[in-house]
Amino acid sequence: MPTIITCFKWVVDESYIRQGTAGELDFSVVDYRISDYDRNAIEEAMRLKAIYGGEVLALTAGVPEATKSIKDALSRGPDRAFFAVDPSFGGLEPAQTAALLAAVVKAHITPYDLILCGEGSGDLYAQQVGPRLAEHLGIPSISFVQKVDIQEGKVIAERRVEEGIEVVAATLPALVTVLPDINVPRIPGVKDTLMASKKPVLSLKKEDLPPIPEPYLQTLEMKTAKLSRACEKFGSDDAEINRFLNALRKKAAI
Amino acid sequence: MGGIWIVAEKKEHALELLSIGRFLGNKMGTNLSVFSWRDQDACFDYIAHGADEVLLPTPPAADQSIDVLLPVIAGEAQMHHPDAIFFSATARCKDLAARLAARLSAGLCSNCIGLSYDEGAKNIIMERLAYGGAAIQKVACRIRPVMATIPPGTFARGDSDTGRKGQCRELPAPPTSALKIIELKKRTREIKDITEARVIVAAGRGFEKQEDLTLVRQLADRLEGEIGCTRPVSEENRWLPVELCIGLSGVQVKPDLYFGLGVSGQVQHVTGIRNARVIAAVNKDENAPIFSVADLGIVGDIYDVVPKLLQALNKG
Ligand SMILES: Cc1cc2nc3c(=O)[nH]c(=O)nc-3n(C[C@H](O)[C@H](O)[C@H](O)COP(=O)(O)OP(=O)(O)OC[C@H]3O[C@@H](n4cnc5c(N)ncnc54)[C@H](O)[C@@H]3O)c2cc1C
Repeated sequence: MPTIITCFKWVVDESYIRQGTAGELDFSVVDYRISDYDRNAIEEAMRLKAIYGGEVLALTAGVPEATKSIKDALSRGPDRAFFAVDPSFGGLEPAQTAALLAAVVKAHITPYDLILCGEGSGDLYAQQVGPRLAEHLGIPSISFVQKVDIQEGKVIAERRVEEGIEVVAATLPALVTVLPDINVPRIPGVKDTLMASKKPVLSLKKEDLPPIPEPYLQTLEMKTAKLSRACEKFGSDDAEINRFLNALRKKAAI
Repeated sequence: MGGIWIVAEKKEHALELLSIGRFLGNKMGTNLSVFSWRDQDACFDYIAHGADEVLLPTPPAADQSIDVLLPVIAGEAQMHHPDAIFFSATARCKDLAARLAARLSAGLCSNCIGLSYDEGAKNIIMERLAYGGAAIQKVACRIRPVMATIPPGTFARGDSDTGRKGQCRELPAPPTSALKIIELKKRTREIKDITEARVIVAAGRGFEKQEDLTLVRQLADRLEGEIGCTRPVSEENRWLPVELCIGLSGVQVKPDLYFGLGVSGQVQHVTGIRNARVIAAVNKDENAPIFSVADLGIVGDIYDVVPKLLQALNKG
């Protein structure tokens, strides 16, 4: 029966980011959530468990404030969670995150069969942690997958490439990153949330883990790129529709 | 030693990257190399477009994934220490780039949309979107090789100079791939390119069922435009092909008119329409974020408003 690891990231909900007066990013009112596509990864792990049995383990690295995310992840079904936690584990680069996750997998979750990650995170969308993690672990990786199955010690995946769909197979253990259309993530109920509090969590502190690389990339500038156009609003009765169409004509848009 | 390396699956993407690579290479006084495994006969074109060297790995067999190139490129990099490696940001190359970066203990700027060279600091400066497109970030890499994946279409291809000289070098055959390709289901229908469309009517999740998209089609036809959509419409509902998805994970468009119907206006979508000249929208929620990025907006139900628009357009 397979052991499936599902990785997730606790990210800023970008719809809360405001633009400061000088074009800087204002994070004063932000909220956090499990990155959208990581929910698909968790759901897919649960779908496979429902068919093949085994165990689903949720894995993340983050700052102590991300503790909330563990309960959220566990309420979506996984049996146990692993949390690499330190105040310095915020704003990590993909290279650093992958190194941390790999260290946890090697020391605490081996052997395993399949690792599932989201296609990319809601904040950086770098799409690197999955393949980098696979490289650290020396296992095959398949990205941008819209369908996945396990058969006779192999993972069979349909990955979306520019020319169409490539069906590929790899011997387990392997890593797969999933696209959002692979499933519809569940919305946890009250009972799921209550059960989640009882599930075991292994927290690993910085001292328990091998050192990670310094960041490779240095941010020289970060500016908001929000579009703001003065929206003229119209109603939906006939007169308003005509007024709207005239405004479009005046802008020579039609 | 050193040099700028280009890795792309398709010749047209390689040519685009050669143009920016040549520009940076001239500033940095370094050579430009390109890996070519599909088009073994593209050497001459690549050299004419700025390559000093074309590296020819043995083309992988049909059942071999391009991850077989990983040890080949990594081996070359460990031997020749390139200054920079730029990948075309296609699905397979993004995967390859991330694995290579991990193998070389290097940084990687994903989906890089701008490249320049700071002559003072002797640094390549890379631009990318962050927070779903809510911010633009400029980064430099502290160590070599500087690595980036660059979406196709980001840079224009340069002119060809058939008098340029360069060399081709065959690389050792790769080992077998850990991934086996069982089948490539090629898309048979033609791919629609909306990046140059003058008018785009975009469908959002405000539509209840696939048949209702005829409203979008009718309006697009009436305005002589094309159809686009949000990611949930193409990927979750699969009502429209993925190449019509506009935004962070889809295409960037620059029409005279973008007209969003039942589109909420989340930043990941809006980042794809920032170069539209006029943005118009219909949404029944007057607080929908699309209204803060639109020039003109109708607060109303698409099922009521679109037929009215069609009627008024057909009259006027
Ligand atoms: C990493 C990442 C990458 C992404 N990349 C992209 C991308 O490239 N492109 C993209 O589009 N999205 C992308 N998304 C998804 C994005 O965040 C939004 O979820 C998506 O754009 C929302 O699509 P929507 O507006 O169609 O749907 P919704 O947000 O559900 O909005 C539907 C809207 O329709 C309105 N509506 C409903 N019924 C009616 C009616 N009868 N009449 C009028 N209005 C009505 C509602 O008020 C609502 O505003 C990405 C997300 C992530 C996390």
